[in-house]
Amino acid sequence: MDRNKIAKWLKEPAKMANKYSLHVIYFCTGCGIIEIPPVITSRWDAERLGIIPVATPRQANLFLITGYVSVKTLRAIIRTYEQMLEPKYAIGFGSCPINGGMYWDSYNTIKHLDKYIPIDGWIAGCMPRPEAIFIAVTHLWTLIDKGMANGYIRYRENYEFYRRNQEMALGKLDWPPLYQIRSDVKAVENE
Amino acid sequence: MNESIKEQLEWTFKAVVVTIPEDTQTVVSVEKDQVLAVLRFLKGRGFDHLALVSCVDWIEEKEFELVYILTRYMQGDEERKYQERLHLIVKTRISRQNPQLETVIGIFPNAEPYEREMHELFGINFEGHPRLTPLLLERDYKIPPFRKDFDTRKYVEEIFGNIPSVENNK
Repeated sequence: MDRNKIAKWLKEPAKMANKYSLHVIYFCTGCGIIEIPPVITSRWDAERLGIIPVATPRQANLFLITGYVSVKTLRAIIRTYEQMLEPKYAIGFGSCPINGGMYWDSYNTIKHLDKYIPIDGWIAGCMPRPEAIFIAVTHLWTLIDKGMANGYIRYRENYEFYRRNQEMALGKLDWPPLYQIRSDVKAVENE
Repeated sequence: MNESIKEQLEWTFKAVVVTIPEDTQTVVSVEKDQVLAVLRFLKGRGFDHLALVSCVDWIEEKEFELVYILTRYMQGDEERKYQERLHLIVKTRISRQNPQLETVIGIFPNAEPYEREMHELFGINFEGHPRLTPLLLERDYKIPPFRKDFDTRKYVEEIFGNIPSVENNK
């Protein structure tokens, strides 16, 4: 272990443990997923940075959205993100989740993913190299250290806003809200 | 082989126009009420693989063109090698105002998803199709999105442009 970090470990053990064991969920959207197999296998070996892919959202705390998001995939993304355990981090990979990329005028592609779920970081490029994932992860470590990777907190605080946006894109959602919607609370108080 | 198929088709059906643009391609243009008969005839001649059903929107002529591509499954013996490469392209035109056609599921069962997709993206109604339910799309579209008169940019501005971004929150 790095001796300089011992003080940090003693001060904030949960944060440090969180940082070095990021569990990425296997979730393939679009073409970017083709970069993931070399990243997690022996060529780039993501495990040396503590990144392990897992199969279900209940075990994961890092969500890589790799490539364009169609309207149908957005539904699955929201459900997956809501099932993940806190603290959870989401990274948009490639230019398509950022602003639509080459699908900016497509009739069935979501343009700005951060309107629907909170994103902690972006990796620009079409396609980004596997090294970019490691740069993003080391940036994410810095953000976690400073407490700036707070997407899940923003999601909880602005849940009405996100839920409204999701319903504008997808129509009526067929699952109950993850958090209590504040307008409901007010309505109850008025009664 | 090309020539013999052409002769057989022209001899059997009246209003069929057969052209041979390439050695391995034969284009068969038929009227819309003859599609089933022609496909059944070709299946009987060994073209037992429906590789693709597709649609072209000829907006200026106010017609949809349906394209059925037929090939053979691999036969294996040397004699048939040349025939295997032959692609038969059956084309038919239907009106754009009332796009309706009989389904070909009775002859080629694998046409089912293709016809569902065309129903969704072009709004063509296939008579006798068991389930014309949504296949790929989530949203409802006033004009089916693959038609030429569907304005994608306007649609994107109206739907996705109106969703507020995070900066506009509060």
